[in-house]
Amino acid sequence: MTLEAKAPVDRERALGAQLPADREKVLEIDDLRVCFATPDGIVRAVDGVSYSLHAGETLGVVGESGCGKSVTAMSVLRLLASPPAVVAGGAIRYRGTDLLGLSEERMRSIRGNEISMIFQDPMTSLNPVLTIGEQIGEAVRLHQGLGRRAARERAVEMLALVNIPDPRRRADEYPHQFSGGMRQRAMIGLALACHPKVLIADEPTTALDVTIQAQILELLRKLEAETGTAIMMITHDLGVVAETCERVVVLYAGRKVEDAPARRLFAAAAHPYTRGLLASMPRLADGAARSHGRLTEIPGMVPSLKEPVPGCSFAPRCPVARPRCTRERPPLVALGDGHSVACWETERGA
Amino acid sequence: MQPTTSKERTPDQGDAPPLLDVRNLKKYYGASRATPGGARRYVRAVDGVSFTLERASTLGIVGESGCGKSTAAKTIMRLIEPSGGQVLLDGVDITAMSRRRFRPYRQQLQIVFQDPYASLNPRMTAGAIVAEPLANYGWSRADREARAAELFDRVGLRRDAMRKYPHEFSGGQRQRIGIARALALDPKLIVCDEPVSALDVSIQAQVVNLLIDLQQELGIAYLFVAHDLAVVRHISDRVAVMYLGRVVESADADRLFADPRHPYTRALLSAVPRPEPGRRNGRIVLKGDVPSPMSPPSGCRFHTRCPHAVDRCTREEPELRDVGAGHEVACHFDP
Repeated sequence: MTLEAKAPVDRERALGAQLPADREKVLEIDDLRVCFATPDGIVRAVDGVSYSLHAGETLGVVGESGCGKSVTAMSVLRLLASPPAVVAGGAIRYRGTDLLGLSEERMRSIRGNEISMIFQDPMTSLNPVLTIGEQIGEAVRLHQGLGRRAARERAVEMLALVNIPDPRRRADEYPHQFSGGMRQRAMIGLALACHPKVLIADEPTTALDVTIQAQILELLRKLEAETGTAIMMITHDLGVVAETCERVVVLYAGRKVEDAPARRLFAAAAHPYTRGLLASMPRLADGAARSHGRLTEIPGMVPSLKEPVPGCSFAPRCPVARPRCTRERPPLVALGDGHSVACWETERGA
Repeated sequence: MQPTTSKERTPDQGDAPPLLDVRNLKKYYGASRATPGGARRYVRAVDGVSFTLERASTLGIVGESGCGKSTAAKTIMRLIEPSGGQVLLDGVDITAMSRRRFRPYRQQLQIVFQDPYASLNPRMTAGAIVAEPLANYGWSRADREARAAELFDRVGLRRDAMRKYPHEFSGGQRQRIGIARALALDPKLIVCDEPVSALDVSIQAQVVNLLIDLQQELGIAYLFVAHDLAVVRHISDRVAVMYLGRVVESADADRLFADPRHPYTRALLSAVPRPEPGRRNGRIVLKGDVPSPMSPPSGCRFHTRCPHAVDRCTREEPELRDVGAGHEVACHFDP
């Protein structure tokens, strides 16, 4: 496929020739702060989050509703409406350039071209009055200056790449003629049409059934290996993370609480929130007889983001919280092997 | 079709009928004619479903979008009128009776909906929402208030929350309000239609635990409809797997998850992402999408996606048959 020919260097990296730390940081989010002005006050949706995405890797960004995972992603593409959203601080560097400082015109040449995104709901993110082929074609005509005919050829090629049967005929169909799984595949084809360096996937399989989810995850894995596109996989599903990601960032209430290689996170999570999250999941196969017992709960609920939290935001729900946790915000501490955690308890134990 | 006895472990019940006995239930929706004056086509949302549910136990119904699991659950409650088949509650056929005669039985059958936002009236207080079923059945104001307060305690909400409106609660708390409303008339059976799928994992665990506690304290049976197989495994005694309006497999929960027999069940279980990195072996990725229930495939409805299908599967529809210990499979083979 043409994609392979276009990105030989990234492909090498995708094959794991280098450790994540040595790879180029394609995207670097640095102390990002995003607030929303609401009638009830200021909501601190993202409160000093930093993480980076390396070339050729798939990074999982996990957390529950309101943790700031989607707001961070939308900030990267500058898709948040302002007002109400205000980027109150920090930087988002794409290959060294701060995206937050770019003109809208320059940003438009990056969005959908070098950094593209797929959304949770493929029905509302595709245009219902344009054919699938026109929508993919539009992206490549705009960004790569292809002519009408060449754009159509690229569209057919992209549909074939994402395993849409009979792509030449399907390119002339409208989104409503596609099933949910096919729409999401078309959406992925559209997002990859310009050979982006970064693909942001925001809950790409949440709206899909499990057998269709399995198809899409397999496709994303294949495409990552073939094209070397770095993927930021935003999800609430730790199962999806385990299957697709090399590294994981865990967010809670607008802050990063843990950052670790995936295997390590699942084997030895360090933050009490991450541990609670893993423990509260019912397991499909734990060998034991029907559990039927109680699941491990995380008591309480996510705090309101309207009041500034001086200490750790998880402290009110944390089983090991101490007085210090509600007073001082824990710094991110490196545990080695690319694993870091923001927790006072870890510091004491170390 | 043979009704099955799912639980041999309660011999003291003797010959008492099961709490719920669903026989060959059907729900067809009329759709457009293929050609003007041609034969009317139907969407066969539920197409011959049979199962039983014992007192104080949980039957999980799983399957993907459009398999008919929610329609089956709502048809059992007569929130949707069935097109055919029977539903017996404590041995009494509730499908044939008039709406008026059905009213006393409706008390026994309650439901918790998926969406905790859409299923509570935004203009009623939480207390009024929970007390409304009581008002429908003629409880006095004082009794209603006392009962509602008791229900708030039971589902873990503070009594002063009775005066608040739904928008003042989180998703998990709203689902507790929905559960309190379902409990109000002291039902024998609660249909839970995707009750935790809109909730975050940590909150989901709280609600699942509440449902388990309530079953143990009050002896309620659940018909638990969900697409999340791990949650269903956790809460169910028995599980039925649906595909295109039919049950393709049903068994004791442990047995079904340890030894799935139907190729669809196997694919479904293998497709669930597990929180264990590096464990990718054994996935069965099904090709294509679920066919339209308007024109289900001939023979076995799964044959178009089945990795084992042979010629016979395209012609003959397999019946559910017992392969031992109440484990039923609708497949020509026992792979």
